[in-house]
Amino acid sequence: MRIETLLQIIMIIIALTIILDKDNLRLVIFSSAFSLIAASLYYMNKSPDVALAEAAIGSAIIPLIFIIAIEKQKQFIVVNHLNDEFLDRDTGKGYKVLEEFAKHYGLKLSVYKNDDGQIQGAFRERNIDLIVEKSPQDNRKYLFIGKKASILMNKLEQMTKDIEDIKIIKVEESERYD
Amino acid sequence: MNIDILLSFFVVLISLFGLVVSRNIIKSIICFNMLQASAVLLFLNFVHSKEAVIPILSSIDSNKNIVDPLPQALMITAIVIGAAITALALMFSIKIFHYYGTLDWDELIKREG
Repeated sequence: MRIETLLQIIMIIIALTIILDKDNLRLVIFSSAFSLIAASLYYMNKSPDVALAEAAIGSAIIPLIFIIAIEKQKQFIVVNHLNDEFLDRDTGKGYKVLEEFAKHYGLKLSVYKNDDGQIQGAFRERNIDLIVEKSPQDNRKYLFIGKKASILMNKLEQMTKDIEDIKIIKVEESERYD
Repeated sequence: MNIDILLSFFVVLISLFGLVVSRNIIKSIICFNMLQASAVLLFLNFVHSKEAVIPILSSIDSNKNIVDPLPQALMITAIVIGAAITALALMFSIKIFHYYGTLDWDELIKREG
């Protein structure tokens, strides 16, 4: 059997594995292997310049940007407008709720403290997923403000419906909440 | 019919199938990448011949043909453009995830109506 045919068959097997697999990071590794085999096949087809470009770009740079993109996508950014310890790390009650939620959906929770206020309506510009602040009417209630279109807000609402002092508010992307 | 051309055409078809059936956006982008790499492979299989040698100046023998270097130059351009398109598509997928909270095609179509 010629080595080109063997490599083509391995390429077909990797392509079928990519279609059947479900884990994102494993898919990236498989696509890197696919590119490496494609590069060696380019060399055997007498075009070493294309093989060089494919080995550098296809099997190194593209997996790198995939991994960076998956990490960025997993972040769940929360902005904290409170003055008390409700969202304190590891001790606050709200932090525990959010941590459980993030763990359940495989997200990476990051809470930012913001004392300036007034960044509502800035969801689109700053990639913020959730804003936590105190209710103006009822001093004991906490408001969780998020995007209306996001399916994660529906899930968070279901998760926190038994907890009394948390209220979920869903706003449109461009709309201001006052 | 050359078996190499047949097999690389089969890889193109598998990638196209994956692009159509996958529900995850990340997987769609990876299948798009695969489609591009295998299309380049198919094209190079078309242009190369067994007797020809690599078009590097020191290896050229006067009584041997060389492979046409023009399609190879075009293929390098295609690979670089493919990398740029991948980066753009991934940026869109991050934006979609932060807006809709999901990367499932079916869910997204249901939400958009």
